[in-house]
Amino acid sequence: MADEIKKEAPVAFKVTIDNITIDVAPGTTILNAARQIGGDVTPPAMCYYSKLEGSGGKCRSCLVEVAAGSTADSRPMPKLMASCRTTVMDGMIVKNMTSEKVIDARNGVVEFLLINHPLDCPICDQAGECHLQDLGYKHGVESTRYEFKRRTFEKEDIGPFIQLHMTRCILCYRCTYIADQITDKRVHGILDRGDHAEISTYISKAIDNDFSGNMIDVCPVGALTDKTFRFKNRVWFTKPVDAHRNCENPKCCGKATLWLRGDEVYRVTSRKDEWGEVQSYNGQVGWICNTCRFEKKKTNDWTIEGLTTISRHSVIGANKYATLEMPIDTIKKVLHGRDPKLLMNIHNVSGVNNPNIHLSEIDRSSQMEDFVKSNDFIKGEGESTQWGLPKE
Amino acid sequence: MGVKLLLEKAHVVGIRTYEVYRREGGYRSVEKALKMATTYVVEEVKKSGLRGRGGAGFPTGLKWNFIAKTEGVPRHLVVNADESEPGTFKDRYLMEFIPHILIEGMIVSSYALGSNVSYIYIRGEYAWIVDILEQAIAEAKLNGFLGKNILGTGFDCEIYVHRGAGAYICGEETALIESLEGKRGNPRIKPPFPAVKGVWGRPTVVNNVETIAAIVSIINNGGDEYAKIGIGKSTGTKLMSACGNINKPGVYEIDMTISVEEFIYSDEYCGGMANGKKLKACIPGGSSVPILPANLLLTTAKGEKRLMNYESLSDGGFTTGSMMGSGGFIILNEDQCVVKHTYTLARFYRHESCGQCSPCREGTGWMEKILLNIENGKAKLSDIDLLWDIQRKIEGNTICPLGDAAAWPVAAAIRHFRDEFEWHVKNPEACLTSNYGLAHYADPIHIPVLT
Repeated sequence: MADEIKKEAPVAFKVTIDNITIDVAPGTTILNAARQIGGDVTPPAMCYYSKLEGSGGKCRSCLVEVAAGSTADSRPMPKLMASCRTTVMDGMIVKNMTSEKVIDARNGVVEFLLINHPLDCPICDQAGECHLQDLGYKHGVESTRYEFKRRTFEKEDIGPFIQLHMTRCILCYRCTYIADQITDKRVHGILDRGDHAEISTYISKAIDNDFSGNMIDVCPVGALTDKTFRFKNRVWFTKPVDAHRNCENPKCCGKATLWLRGDEVYRVTSRKDEWGEVQSYNGQVGWICNTCRFEKKKTNDWTIEGLTTISRHSVIGANKYATLEMPIDTIKKVLHGRDPKLLMNIHNVSGVNNPNIHLSEIDRSSQMEDFVKSNDFIKGEGESTQWGLPKE
Repeated sequence: MGVKLLLEKAHVVGIRTYEVYRREGGYRSVEKALKMATTYVVEEVKKSGLRGRGGAGFPTGLKWNFIAKTEGVPRHLVVNADESEPGTFKDRYLMEFIPHILIEGMIVSSYALGSNVSYIYIRGEYAWIVDILEQAIAEAKLNGFLGKNILGTGFDCEIYVHRGAGAYICGEETALIESLEGKRGNPRIKPPFPAVKGVWGRPTVVNNVETIAAIVSIINNGGDEYAKIGIGKSTGTKLMSACGNINKPGVYEIDMTISVEEFIYSDEYCGGMANGKKLKACIPGGSSVPILPANLLLTTAKGEKRLMNYESLSDGGFTTGSMMGSGGFIILNEDQCVVKHTYTLARFYRHESCGQCSPCREGTGWMEKILLNIENGKAKLSDIDLLWDIQRKIEGNTICPLGDAAAWPVAAAIRHFRDEFEWHVKNPEACLTSNYGLAHYADPIHIPVLT
């Protein structure tokens, strides 16, 4: 009997990620095991999408160090492994944030992803909910070492609802997987190869099917954005609420997030979980149809359930929480009864702002000496008004 | 005169045709192997110590052992004839001159692996070789060595030639499989390995042309006999395609006991440097392996003579050694500029990157741009360090070995020829018209005395 039990595969594998041990089901990837722990232990994922079969392994931002392969074979793996596509073994020891090699490689990946990125966040609709922004904040550097012209592509129109910005694309392939897996026929794909590879429809064909809008939801960057929401608002100014409607389309789950400003529906997306992925309901992924997404833009089309819970640390989370803690003590109280005031009236020390000298009277380009020479410097607080002007 | 197993009969008049090939002793191995048990054939290959000739040098017998033998699931043998590595042209020579040796080896290997349908994935540029191979397949079929019930043993085998469309990346085995299936040639993420899930999800073995051709003599003479040729773990013979500034560029069969010096200077092989120039550097195994300066090429860091085999060429790791690779022996003389040469390679890898994973897609293009600047004297000294940092971040972090292949030549060039790079930066005018020359690259290396 005892022998028989030994032969059976263990029900759970023990895996240690950044010194935190967890039991996971056999066949789980390192990334999903780390997601079960949560927090900083979770490697970032730009191309992996748990709801899309075959995705992952491409962006290399989820690389981790495997310090010990398993209990049976405790040798470390020679290369950094893509955690989204490596399944755990019993007794595996993984280093993510605790490995310098991983941090170094990840910084490299972020740099590679950004060298040809236009960095047009100020005019990008994805800004605020962009995974590349998050990755850049966490692992990027302030300046670039890339001194060449950034890559550009010819603009392509892929239909009335979706805007394609190829320059922002990081080639995660998610949109091709979604077209393969939830729509009947894929009409777009990757053309060319290497650094000139691009998402395209080959002969400028519109992507036209009921579920094409989900491409926008899975896109980690601003390469695919909603044309009906284009330049309408910044995502952090809109208020997300959960809502549902009885959709006629049998494949559509009818559960969505409405992004409101006042009573106006600016945008409709599917509901996302904490990893930025579309939520599942009873094992069914909550994709929504294009009618719900692009055409139902009135509040009376929907039954609103309530505010969407989103991470309060996200950009979108800013100013969204009524329960946001405000300091009880005023500054006056903190300063023991003193009123707050500027530490220095800059007009008193800056000669340039001295109004007794008229620039028009200087017959060449003005220099510091012109101001220093004059004895009109006004000193002392009592002598001047708030603006540094002499008292009449 | 070294032992010749593959090219022995290559220049017999009419060897391309079945009649002459058969008269010269061809297809004996098929007759012999099909009488043996399949495990016995695999055992012979294991005994021979044959290592993959495509570049990685993985033991072939071991690879064959890994193939999953699930009942009822067909298995496949795929021959990788997508020889696209710059400097490598050995398979082309073999297929062009004696195509039947490949077909013969494939029948034996297919039998050993249990593959009833085998493929030759050939690069599209070898258009005329496709005709030669198809002719050979038709002749073999006509004479009962292919098709149903071969030689009355009940073993069926068909061979199809599949033409690639000119992508270097399709020489990587999983990209080759994708391409063979009719998809975009993107490398797959391993695991699963092809031995478990290959062509159409079936167990597949992908072998190089030369590896499969070597099977013929292993079966004919026995694995033990084959293992006697060569040194240590480098058994058998290896085809080297030599090119560059030498007197006799071409394909040579070597038995891996000769020294690099002999290979370059003896009349039997390369015939010395052309025009009396001096040897400056060499890439011993196809464009993706590290380049070595003349002094490190001829002697190892320990001061021993470097031999033409897997172990000796990789002696000293990447710090002072290189790799056997696919056998593309590229020789540079004192007139060649290493910077320009590295730029050319970087341009190649940028163009051939599939664009699937970010470090390779973005990094190869970045390296090419910096190298072009250095070559044209428009760079800063810090660019050399930047280049080093970029290659370091590509290497090992990509899905397939193309990322490593793009990083290694750049790394080796900076490691061994850094002063030539610096000369380019410091002499922006001179580097456009003149050359850094041989410099100290052929000087005897300082060997630390071991106490």
